[in-house]
Amino acid sequence: MLRFRRSGTAERSRLDCLRALYRKCRVENTREARGLRLLREWLSPRQRAQLEADGYFDVVGSDSGKRYRIYEGTMTNVYELDDIGRPKMGWCFVPSGSLVAGDVMLAQKVALETSEYAALAVANRFLPRRAQFRMVR
Amino acid sequence: MALQIVMDHSGDTRHHFDAKDAEALAKAEARFKELTGRGFTAAVRSGPGEVIRTRAFDPAAEETLFFPRLVGG
Repeated sequence: MLRFRRSGTAERSRLDCLRALYRKCRVENTREARGLRLLREWLSPRQRAQLEADGYFDVVGSDSGKRYRIYEGTMTNVYELDDIGRPKMGWCFVPSGSLVAGDVMLAQKVALETSEYAALAVANRFLPRRAQFRMVR
Repeated sequence: MALQIVMDHSGDTRHHFDAKDAEALAKAEARFKELTGRGFTAAVRSGPGEVIRTRAFDPAAEETLFFPRLVGG
């Protein structure tokens, strides 16, 4: 239990940092800021609200109708969700080249929403330990 | 003005063009073919948060996004 409490505190701290970063990025012109602005422009209002509140957003796969959760990050940040919203499987795929987090997350969103199976075909799978840990909070 | 957005190491590069200008349109089409030929995916916005993948240049598209080929991480 103690382990989970510590994790909850760390998670809140992480989210606070993330929110501060988003506020900063609105007015800055760094490549990271431009990437996050572009991402925000292409998200639905619901996805945008989710990202700001929780540090992730959900998308629906174009081929299977399955739900995926895309966390802020540039790798091992996409999780397939089960029927009750728990991470079931991690999928790691990214656009080639060194892109910033906002661009990577946007490419992942577009890929899953328009060519889900093609994106998963190149992805590596991993067990969603990190996300399961977050769900306990 | 129409817009092509290309994701790259700088965040993104934006190419604005007047879709009513034949020369600008031809350049935009050439850019589309060059990028998709290199493996970039092209997508257009169809509504707030809604995207459609496109495989052919659409002269009527207001905003087209390009991102590099996906690879397993």
